[in-house]
Amino acid sequence: MSFSIAGTKPLARDVAHGNSWQLLLLPTAILLGVIFVIPIGDLIQLSFHTMSGPGQVDSRLTVGNYQTFITDTFLLEILLRTCAMGLLVVVCCLIVGFPVAYYLARTESRWRGMALFLVISPLLVSAIVRNIGWYPLLSESGLVNSLLLKLGVVGSPLQLINNFTGVVVGLVHALLPFMILTLTTVIQRIERDLEEAAANLGAGPLRVFCHVLLPLSLPGVVSGSLLVFTMAISAYTTPAILGGNRVLVMATYIGQQFRTVLDYPAGATAAALLLVFAVLLTALASRVRTRGTDLA
Amino acid sequence: MILSFTLRVTLAAVFIFLLAPVIVVIITSFNGGPIFTFPPTHFTTRWFALIKPSFIDATYVSLIVASGTAVLSVVFGVPAALGLSRGQFFGRDALGAIFLSPLMIPALVTGVALYQATFVLWDMAHLQIGGTIPGLIIAHLTFGIPFVVRTVLAGDARFEHAIEEAALNLGATPLQSFWRVTAPILRPSIISGAIFAFVMSLDDVPIALFMGGGHATTLPVRIFTTVEFDFGGDVMAVASAIVGVSVVAMMLLDRLIGLGELFGAKQ
Repeated sequence: MSFSIAGTKPLARDVAHGNSWQLLLLPTAILLGVIFVIPIGDLIQLSFHTMSGPGQVDSRLTVGNYQTFITDTFLLEILLRTCAMGLLVVVCCLIVGFPVAYYLARTESRWRGMALFLVISPLLVSAIVRNIGWYPLLSESGLVNSLLLKLGVVGSPLQLINNFTGVVVGLVHALLPFMILTLTTVIQRIERDLEEAAANLGAGPLRVFCHVLLPLSLPGVVSGSLLVFTMAISAYTTPAILGGNRVLVMATYIGQQFRTVLDYPAGATAAALLLVFAVLLTALASRVRTRGTDLA
Repeated sequence: MILSFTLRVTLAAVFIFLLAPVIVVIITSFNGGPIFTFPPTHFTTRWFALIKPSFIDATYVSLIVASGTAVLSVVFGVPAALGLSRGQFFGRDALGAIFLSPLMIPALVTGVALYQATFVLWDMAHLQIGGTIPGLIIAHLTFGIPFVVRTVLAGDARFEHAIEEAALNLGATPLQSFWRVTAPILRPSIISGAIFAFVMSLDDVPIALFMGGGHATTLPVRIFTTVEFDFGGDVMAVASAIVGVSVVAMMLLDRLIGLGELFGAKQ
């Protein structure tokens, strides 16, 4: 901003709308370039090298790491497990979240504010604390197992934590608020009259849901699912803690390569792939959202 | 109606599910028996007495890092947001996308990228950034600045620019117009951006895990590494204390700003 022109009326307009504003960008652009863009670029560059020893990197360039990722069954399994985890979390969030979103969108009850607060409350508590809370619930002598044993549903305690199940439970818990909020926004935009018309014409609740509610809320279902899927495959803390270092998905594999195996290029390759997935899915989600609003 | 009854039961079940782990942390921190056994066998407060000093040190580190992140995010984020929303130049949208991109990229990826960058910096200039508090703050600016940019961009979009012009036409200098007109109007956006940067910094594990270490270990990272090897009642007591402090902080925020306002600004 140039201050020498202060006070002169014709130029005042120029200061408000003119070209000097972009100079303000410079310091931040440089800072983010140095602390973010360059390190990310460097990480991608690292994925085109191989390891020459623990923590050591060979200087030759190669695409071998990426080839290994699609040929090695161990890595393919990690990729598939990551997708399976993401999909399972999405499906659980949809099933559990839809009724709550429907309630929040339609109710006129004075408890609505309270319900909304309960939905976002997990987001207000530290992620690490929420994860720890699952141990007394899901361990062998935890609440769920002692209830199941007492009711005679199972004969011996189920393994619910330090495995895939524990990770899915933790992720559904962490991401459910995002699904509910996305669905609520979309259901709110559906005319209530449409449901009533269908019901008056003799459709039962199930038919109203399948033929009216679900098709009309599809943009929300798709964008909520993409959001939750992306966040599920990107999460590190929850799979690391609730998987008890035993569940290898992309995120925990990356963590392991950098923290214990010290094969930095292998970790960088997985990180670059995760980055590409996350960016593509986010871009897709925003496409769906804008198209969804066009339709509405 | 049957449907509304089913809906009510489902709602109750979902709310129990959402609150369960947090409530369990509080109850378990007073459990005198084995801490993974629930319901608890008998009452105790001894876990709180057993909290190791390293957790207290980590709390200070977390608070220093979060405060530094919030302040510097505002210092760098506000001018950037104003430049983006008011500047007219080629590539503005692309630059805006780059400024917000750290929020799109998994924190773990940012964490390992910065971790690698610390090696490069050490090789090139023998500069030790990893494992230091300034290093942690720099690392957290990668998401702190975008948070402030996003909230201030949203605030500035709602802003009637004619008011600024009026101030200038009435003889205010650009600096006066900024401090007297622009800053007060943008203040709620700036505050909520700063609060988000602060809270995200307090909550972060993946970035602080790779950038921290030694004396620069934040509280969540200390808990994370303790849980991996030595998960005991003292960790539950720490977690329980965090819940207590968060509840008090939320109530204060709600009184002072209104949580609805804060979340409205996030969208």
